[in-house]
Amino acid sequence: MNQAERGAGAGRESDDQVDAELIARWKAGDDRAATALVERHAAALARFAVASGERSEVDELVQDTFVRAFNSLQGFRGDSSFRTWLFTIERRLLLDRRRAEKRRRDRTEIQEDDAATEYDALDSVLADETQRRVRAAVERLSPTQREVFTLRVAEGLSYKEIAEAVGTTEGAARVHYHNAMRSVKEFLDE
Amino acid sequence: MNDCINAEIRDQLPELVHDRLDAARRAEVLAHMEACAECRDEVALLHAVRAMFDAQTPRVDVRYVVNALPQAKPRSVPLQRRRPVWTDWRIAAAITLLVAGGSSVAVLRRDPGAAAALRQTVQSTPVLGPRARSDSSGSSAQARLAPAAPREPTPRAMVATDAQGSGIGASRLGDLTEQQLEALLGEIDQLQATPITDPEPVSLRVRESTSGAPEGA
Repeated sequence: MNQAERGAGAGRESDDQVDAELIARWKAGDDRAATALVERHAAALARFAVASGERSEVDELVQDTFVRAFNSLQGFRGDSSFRTWLFTIERRLLLDRRRAEKRRRDRTEIQEDDAATEYDALDSVLADETQRRVRAAVERLSPTQREVFTLRVAEGLSYKEIAEAVGTTEGAARVHYHNAMRSVKEFLDE
Repeated sequence: MNDCINAEIRDQLPELVHDRLDAARRAEVLAHMEACAECRDEVALLHAVRAMFDAQTPRVDVRYVVNALPQAKPRSVPLQRRRPVWTDWRIAAAITLLVAGGSSVAVLRRDPGAAAALRQTVQSTPVLGPRARSDSSGSSAQARLAPAAPREPTPRAMVATDAQGSGIGASRLGDLTEQQLEALLGEIDQLQATPITDPEPVSLRVRESTSGAPEGA
């Protein structure tokens, strides 16, 4: 661990400690600890879902993620942070949904009109021109680059945590992030 | 938009945006940014991306999520697993065997007479297995019997041994003195004098009483 990583680890350690205490309380029978854990991480999971391309049923995806996590929480050893573990679970669920969606699309034709309507509605929410351009820049990224970029920028995860969440190495996560940042900057400079 | 050449500082800009740097590191990065336009631009971009994600993401209904969660179950203290009965029984049997065997060895070592008596008892045991019985006619049986009969054999014993057809008597007749041989011949004569026919059946004779009635009636 270099000096920069040591300096950046202070906030994470306290976050992890709070999570560990809440998990211990929930294991002891305190259901309010579950509510606190959901309040702490639901927004981050929703951001990651949206950034990964999930446009609808974000609530359901976040709910499924927490249900799976809490069903396995008795066996959670804390090798990684609770938040990273949640991202790992959510990412797996997203991949399952995409596979199911792909099978469904193979059976039925894509309804282009519906998709366009969905994006138009989203555009109306993004009134700011800068935000719209940023969104367009992020959407141009490859799926892996987008995942890494989202976890780094939107959630502030370290490369080590990102590597655990998306199933890659720390070095590869660093490369993906810098390539994504360069791509976004180039798009915004055009 | 260009990249700052200080890669180490650039790598910490997301942590600065998320307020995850300790005070010393944060001061160092902020000092660098005052003189670095590229890093200031990048931090502005990071804030914009965060804002975009926040604006894009719908608010999650926490209650909706919590209602679907499983109830917390306090982990009960597991009962101590009882050792199976058969294991207890085997241990007890093994201990008993060890104690019995050990005490027997101790007694035999302490009392040499007991050991000799035990050995003699084993050697003179009449009940022999088939292999031992067949061996008893050979020299090994003779050698085994020798220490048990240290005295000089009597003529009767020699005859008895020879009469069993083992052949031992024939080899020992030469060792007898003349007096023993004469005594032996005398005994043989007496044996030949005994009647070989079966004894006559016993018949009861009832004496008639003077009154004519049977006795005891």
